[in-house]
Amino acid sequence: MSQEIMEFLKPRMGARFRMWLNICAHCGLCANTCHYYTANDNDPKMIPSYKVRFLKEILRKKGKVDKDYLQRVYDTVYYECNMCRRCTLYCPFAIDIALMISLLRALLFSQGIAPEGLVKAIENYKEFGNQMAVTDEDWVETVKWCEEEMAEELEGLKIPIDKKGAKMLYTVNAREPMFYPQDMMEVAKIFHVAGEDYTYCSKPGWDDTNLSMFCGDLKTSRMIVENTFKRADELEVEQVAITE
Amino acid sequence: MDFFSFVEGPLLWLAFLIFIIGSLIRAAMFLSVSTKKDKIIYQHFSWKYVFATLVRWILPLNKDLAKNPVFSILGYIFHICLIIVPIWYASHITLWEESRFEWSWSSIPDEMADWMTLIFLAIVIFFLLRRIFSADIRLISTFSDYLLLIVTALPFLTGYFLTHGTLDSIGFLGDNMQLLHMLSAELMLILIPFTKLSHYILFFFSRGASGVEFGRRGYSI
Ligand code: HEM
Ligand code: HEM
Ligand code: SF4
Ligand code: SF4
Repeated sequence: MSQEIMEFLKPRMGARFRMWLNICAHCGLCANTCHYYTANDNDPKMIPSYKVRFLKEILRKKGKVDKDYLQRVYDTVYYECNMCRRCTLYCPFAIDIALMISLLRALLFSQGIAPEGLVKAIENYKEFGNQMAVTDEDWVETVKWCEEEMAEELEGLKIPIDKKGAKMLYTVNAREPMFYPQDMMEVAKIFHVAGEDYTYCSKPGWDDTNLSMFCGDLKTSRMIVENTFKRADELEVEQVAITE
Repeated sequence: MDFFSFVEGPLLWLAFLIFIIGSLIRAAMFLSVSTKKDKIIYQHFSWKYVFATLVRWILPLNKDLAKNPVFSILGYIFHICLIIVPIWYASHITLWEESRFEWSWSSIPDEMADWMTLIFLAIVIFFLLRRIFSADIRLISTFSDYLLLIVTALPFLTGYFLTHGTLDSIGFLGDNMQLLHMLSAELMLILIPFTKLSHYILFFFSRGASGVEFGRRGYSI
């Protein structure tokens, strides 16, 4: 395992990571800027600088760490930091703790350690292009159904799909077609009344969530974003709107 | 050559060279590795953000002043003394004048250097106590954090003893204070490139890189 860990880290250890691990003054100015610190009665273990000690340790030990150790890394990088970057705003060296936490999450993912929900979502992105495993047919059908429902309320309401040359490509969180289609209906109403020139796309790219980013799975992250850009290019829209 | 001459001559040269060349290598390494592995900085590079963030953090115009006023202000005073005293202290300048470079520049009054030295040492003691007694800082402190604080303080302590003859009555220490002063200064200079003290130069790269990244997103920098 140590070899795999180093093989993963080596090409990814940029100059900034090395510099940050080196120059952190351990001054503690970042402590009370982290909401995990303040929400846990100023627990010293929640100091941002302390949370990235794992990266330094793993490098020093040349990757020779066991499963238990990685489990402890997991508990910290997933449950003690949400990568909000606030601490960086107060660090005199602007050390980007969140970026290092993200690298550690990516390292764990490469070793098969990640929250179950995220792993499932990543599988779905890869297979269906959205986190909820909605098929293209179901998606288009849901949009059409929303249109029918709303047309009863607002005469002449249309929800455009794949409308070439529309001004804006509108994207949603994949939970909306699954659980909250009423959200899509409300939006359709607003767009209709406002006379907005928008369109949905029928093929993958309509889900604007990017949960793979939270595991540091940059390959899938990239695929998701590229899907949306591809649709935008095909439909020749000027803007992409995301709901989140 | 006796030990004193060695410390006064070759070792001093060595210390300065290690300090200067080592620092340049640290900077060069950052630049060369970052152009390959941190392309994002250069893809979005903007002097505007780099400049803005450096000015705000070199001058006391940043967020930390409101958030942690005591530590921030002491941090500023600490560094001001640390940079001003060794460079503008009259006896140091005399040494430069007498050296082969014959460089000379104006000095600060001795009394001021004295006070700055004492203030500096007081802040070091506060920083040390803080590391020892604050549960927060104790947890994140490593051995080298304590060591480097002491290494930074020793030239000031020995310099003060030297000018004031404080320990002159104590045999060995009294006779060799100048030696100890030079050794402690050389130790500090030599350790700078290899430790977190390299922050004196990497500060600019670290803030600059994050300034670009945060500035373009419209965060405060
Ligand atoms: C342009 C030059 C420098 C800059 C911008 C700078 C910046 C900083 C910053 C931001 C910190 C963190 C916390 C604080 O504000 O105290 C710090 C800490 C520190 N600096 Fe510097 N520094 C510089 C030069 C130096 C030099 C030349 C030395 C010594 C050789 C030095 C020694 C230290 C030490 C020992 C600490 C740690 C204090 C502690 O233990 O809490 N600095 N510096
Ligand atoms: C290695 C080169 C250095 C040499 C040869 C040197 C030499 C001296 C000498 C000869 C004195 C005493 C002058 C007198 O008795 O009138 C002195 C004082 C002093 N030096 Fe240095 N020094 C060096 C580096 C440093 C460094 C790097 C620092 C601080 C970071 C420093 C801080 C001081 C201080 C604080 C005093 C006393 C000032 C006072 O109390 O007014 N020196 N130094
Ligand atoms: S504020 Fe920055 S330098 Fe200070 S401990 Fe936190 S990360 Fe390290
Ligand atoms: S990035 Fe992480 S460590 Fe920093 S403030 Fe946010 S949650 Fe805390």
